[in-house]
Amino acid sequence: MKRTEQQAPDFDAIVVGSGMSGGWSAKELAERGLKVLVLERGPEIIPERDYTDRIPPWERPNLDRIPQDEIAEHYPTQYGGVAYAIKETTKHFWVKDDEHPYETAEGTSYDWLRGYHTGGRSIMWSRQAYRLGPQDFEANLQEGVGVDWPVRYNDIAPWYDHVERFAGIAGNTDGLPQLPDGVFQPAFDLTCAEEDFKTRVEAAFPGRNVIAARIAHLTDATPEQRALGRRNCQSRNRCEHGCIFRAYFSSLNATLPAARVTGNLTMVHNAIVRSLDYDEETRRVTGVRVIDAETREGRTYTARVVFLNASTIASAMILLQSASEAFPNGLANRSDQVGRNLMDHISGAGASGFITGFDDKTVFGRRPSGGIYIPRYANVTENDKPYRRGFGFQGGASPAAGTNGQTPGIGRAFKEAHRAPGPWRVSIGAFGEQLPDPDNRVTLHPSRRDQWGNPVAVMNVTYGENERIMLEEARTDAIAMLEAAGCTDIRSGEVNLTKPGNRIHEMGSARMGRDPATSVLNGWCQAHDVDNLFVTDGSFMASAACQNPSLTYMAFSARAANYAADLIADGTL
Amino acid sequence: MISRRDAIKSLIISVGGTSLLSACGGQVSLGSITPGSTRRFYSEREMALVSRVSDLLIPRTETPGAIDVGVPQFLDQLMTEWANSETQAEHRAGLALLDARLGSEAGGDFLDVSDAVAERALTMVDREAFGGSPVDGYRNLKGLISQAYFATEAGALDELKWVATPGRWEPCVDLT
Repeated sequence: MKRTEQQAPDFDAIVVGSGMSGGWSAKELAERGLKVLVLERGPEIIPERDYTDRIPPWERPNLDRIPQDEIAEHYPTQYGGVAYAIKETTKHFWVKDDEHPYETAEGTSYDWLRGYHTGGRSIMWSRQAYRLGPQDFEANLQEGVGVDWPVRYNDIAPWYDHVERFAGIAGNTDGLPQLPDGVFQPAFDLTCAEEDFKTRVEAAFPGRNVIAARIAHLTDATPEQRALGRRNCQSRNRCEHGCIFRAYFSSLNATLPAARVTGNLTMVHNAIVRSLDYDEETRRVTGVRVIDAETREGRTYTARVVFLNASTIASAMILLQSASEAFPNGLANRSDQVGRNLMDHISGAGASGFITGFDDKTVFGRRPSGGIYIPRYANVTENDKPYRRGFGFQGGASPAAGTNGQTPGIGRAFKEAHRAPGPWRVSIGAFGEQLPDPDNRVTLHPSRRDQWGNPVAVMNVTYGENERIMLEEARTDAIAMLEAAGCTDIRSGEVNLTKPGNRIHEMGSARMGRDPATSVLNGWCQAHDVDNLFVTDGSFMASAACQNPSLTYMAFSARAANYAADLIADGTL
Repeated sequence: MISRRDAIKSLIISVGGTSLLSACGGQVSLGSITPGSTRRFYSEREMALVSRVSDLLIPRTETPGAIDVGVPQFLDQLMTEWANSETQAEHRAGLALLDARLGSEAGGDFLDVSDAVAERALTMVDREAFGGSPVDGYRNLKGLISQAYFATEAGALDELKWVATPGRWEPCVDLT
């Protein structure tokens, strides 16, 4: 469909993707008075109908297990990656692998773990929410790795405040420069065993800290949050089933409802993006071509500005699919960096053990996520490391009673032993930083297409020496900290480096930088080559840091959206 | 109230038609189990074995036991609806080995010996299985029975004192 110059665009802004970052782009743009269209490739999730958090254990079919043949047919990768979260009553939040294929380069592997529906992976995320620190924005420059971030911590700090205030993050003020404090609601307090672990570890390792995890659950809902129908966390720990209290942050629970309140939001589901239209004369993106997932019908929506929030792999693919005469290597890809520098976090190193002395204590309620967090100390407070960057540990200590029958005894004694909380077990696992490498990339398959006619992704990602050495050291450190805490029966398997993508923190495929020749986006997440194109999902990340990244995507999305609104207001766009 | 052994006997008889649950006077707590449902995976003997082990592991006390809440029928359904053919075969082979092992431990057919003898035999097998030497099929079966039981209303509410909506987080509570 060709439109004349005179015709007004359908919308002020189109946001591609309704997940963690897309919800923020939509909310901020809509609150600035812009007419916003959100395109979601999957079906609509209606909380009252689709959340399964209220189903009690005895109504979950087959212990909530998905039939094994069904896993083999539809979920081999998704289940293999996150078996703990894919249940009979949550499988509708995850893609069927056979319907959404991708390939990996020979000798490599990749877990692309996804959900296509309203809210995307913000429904299933683990809700750990940390700021990057000043060191994270400076490391590339100092080490000559990748490209320098065109942004420093002070540029983004006010936007972290902004998103934390709205999203609701439970955490403590800890005063750590490498993990800056923010706008917090009351933390989920440490268990007595965690307090003991903290005291002993901090005494034995002066450069290390054990803090309460910072997590995106309401503990003191603000009037703004309550007005959106959000309530405090009820300590049910049913989050991966959705939350009818809307207590944890997701697009569906928070940003999309806020965008809707403005009256400026239009949302279209089942709209799979084929490509972006680019006008050579104006050097602008003019519209977004979509295919209806169900009818296969093609449509084009036009707008003044386009935000890509499709997730880092999908956004890179959309740019590559939008090649034209002006951009033969993909839209906004004069730098040839689109699809490159694909990063994730690395795990597979940790330790667990038992903490004694708390047999007369237990907990009440089920903490929804987190427990303890050990912020990065490597190359921050300890500078004797044989690797670059560092890692944080996530973990916790709680009574270890379970109902899986793997304890001795029969009869009344066995049955009633389950009434006791069990011994206190502590466990910590590392999340480490992967360095950017332009050879780690996603490309479009030259010939294979999915059922909608879009090219299939080909992942080619391998980890390097730094990642391997770092995790070995993380394991050694984990054991040493559990020993220092007086743990018994300490267990730590050999390092088992997670597959690329497995942490579901993929990022970096359209990095921001100062030089248009070596980066795709500027410091505002705006394409160097196309003024009215923004990419604010994980694609923009110039380095991975080691903190869970969602909060950073939120902050950069909000900042970019307000920048774009400024440009529209002053007539630049 | 009838004895456990009678309950097991009635169970064996009930296979194929009569409801186990009405026979033993218990209540159905596993939502997806319908009273009177017939077995689909287990043979008569397997059903009886699973039932006797379930009853010995999680007997009726002040709260309902595994038989009362239909754990054997639940496992029959689990094996039919959840397990693939490989898991089904493994489970079946495990039951056969366990049956033989319990029989030799009991000095006779495990299904025919008295409750006291059966309990002793299962105690020996349990001790061995958790003492470092694997007993084929046992820990797997015990795991399934335990998970199934504690997922019922009796197991979750009466035994575990599971609360659907705790409403708050208390990180350090004195055990009373």
